[in-house]
Amino acid sequence: MSDSATSSGALPSTARVDRRARVVPVVALLVIAILLPLARPIFSGTYNYALQLLLVTYMWVALASSWNIIGGYVGYISLGNNVFFGIGGYFAGSLLVYYGWSPFLTAPVAGVLGLGLGLLFGLVALRTSGAAFIISTIALLLMTALVFDNWEWVGGANGLSLPLPQFELRWVKVPFYYAMLLTGVGAVWLSWKVAHSRFGLGLRAIAEDEIKAEVAGINTRAYKVMAFALSAIFPAIAGGFWGYSLTYLRGTIFFSIAVAAEMVLMAIIGGRGTVSGPVVGAVLLVAINEFSVARFGSSELNIVVTGLILVAALIFFPTGIVGSLRDRGRLPRFLDWD
Amino acid sequence: MNTLQVAIFGLMLGGVYALMASGLTLLFGVMRIVNLAHGVFILLGAYFAYFAFERMTIDPFVSLIAVVPLMFLLGMAIYRLLFTRIEGSSRFGEMTVLLTFGMALIVEGLLGYFFTGIFRSTSPSYGTSAFIIGDLFIPKGQLYGSIASFGLLILLWVFLTRTKIGTAIRATMQNRTAPQIVGVNVRWVSTISFGIGVAMAGAAGALMSYLSAFFPARHWQWIALLLSLVVLGGLGSLKGAVVAALALSVLSAFVSDWLGPTWSPMTFYLALFLILLVRPQGLFGKAGAA
Repeated sequence: MSDSATSSGALPSTARVDRRARVVPVVALLVIAILLPLARPIFSGTYNYALQLLLVTYMWVALASSWNIIGGYVGYISLGNNVFFGIGGYFAGSLLVYYGWSPFLTAPVAGVLGLGLGLLFGLVALRTSGAAFIISTIALLLMTALVFDNWEWVGGANGLSLPLPQFELRWVKVPFYYAMLLTGVGAVWLSWKVAHSRFGLGLRAIAEDEIKAEVAGINTRAYKVMAFALSAIFPAIAGGFWGYSLTYLRGTIFFSIAVAAEMVLMAIIGGRGTVSGPVVGAVLLVAINEFSVARFGSSELNIVVTGLILVAALIFFPTGIVGSLRDRGRLPRFLDWD
Repeated sequence: MNTLQVAIFGLMLGGVYALMASGLTLLFGVMRIVNLAHGVFILLGAYFAYFAFERMTIDPFVSLIAVVPLMFLLGMAIYRLLFTRIEGSSRFGEMTVLLTFGMALIVEGLLGYFFTGIFRSTSPSYGTSAFIIGDLFIPKGQLYGSIASFGLLILLWVFLTRTKIGTAIRATMQNRTAPQIVGVNVRWVSTISFGIGVAMAGAAGALMSYLSAFFPARHWQWIALLLSLVVLGGLGSLKGAVVAALALSVLSAFVSDWLGPTWSPMTFYLALFLILLVRPQGLFGKAGAA
């Protein structure tokens, strides 16, 4: 990840070709994603299914890319980032139920809430590192799950039913599609922005060697807390939209450790610590999950598949798809955003 | 409820928690492995005891005779198969977390697939009866469980302090390179330690089989409590784990008495965050060990 960091910037002519080879495919994909909902006739009966599958993909892109800021750049594994996903969902959902405020307006506010809570938790948990930090994130997750399971105002373990969105049924997925697309793009943009800032360099220095980073004058604690807080923003926003699109909230949807597992797995499979890795991982795993549910039905075996992929990836491809391709010099330009 | 009575309930559970936590902290102490799969190893012990009890009416205490050696072998095999592959990794610590996380998902899924999500528990006669001393109520099952747990912990302690391998294990806990100079095979020591840690988890599981109902996803609750205990006691400190287990079990029994049993796990999580604020290395931990 460090050798390519110098490639943007000074070099004139090749850099321009480089940039075109990187930017054009990504812009093309984005344009397709934006125009896709107009192509209703092409999909006919599978229109809503296709949009749903894509919006789920964008959601996971947002979750995995956000996780990557703390888990990839800084190298601090968090198994509790879905807490912010859930809090966003409950925040936007309960404001809808009790005050009638649309999640399309409140979900972005949930992002701010996520940032604040992330700062707060980070200040406590990031007093430790390594194993103790990971453990504190698991404790955060189970603690939050316990609170929401017993909090009557948000329906306790039974959850909360949300009013149905007032859109025409044929187009009901479209607003959610664009909302998630924006969330996913926003999360990747943030991740890219962080990766190419002084701040991001500091984070990577911490990942390499925390003590040396500190000696070099980086306020490691502040950097880590900030990275954790940033990683909480887009999960909270995604949660707000996701709860609304499901029309009900329940603790198990958001606060299950399986959600944390997927976030981590996507980032690792794709290549953690890279900008494009979590995106690749999210697309791949949504596809694998969709295939395995279609093929084997929704059963406990899906967790087994997740676990097996994780173990195999760690042992055989610890740097993930993007990392492994880069090591071999085979990484397509449009995936090279570091 | 009578204060002494609540304390007794807490202490009784504390013994089994101490046994569970001992394996976890041993793995961290010797190999710097944070074993997120410790909960599923406990589950495996519990399911083994359950089927031995249901199919062959074998008492959970008797099934310990089979559970302990089987889990010991399983632990050694897992270490050899998986962990030796990542030994040289520069990010060994977090690799172990992710690897054991994956293992936990695999075992949980398989247990769920084969045995379904039904709540299980063994029901030996002593599981529901009690000794009554004055107005104090001492549940037999929990008492036996604690005695067995402390028995196993004492055995572990004797093994660690009185045998040659035990000394090698303790030496490796202090420093991973120095023992190699005096001829200790650290890989072998690690393999044995992993086996012991998993065997302790299995034994605790067999005891848990009648103390609380279990189902495949139950292990996340266990592991979270245990990890809190282990951090509280100081990662890698056996003494710390035992003290933290007893103290927190008593405390959570009081919380359960005041606020209802739903909130008793909260004690462990809050204690964890409190200790992180005040003393991040834990009660008996050395700064920088984690």
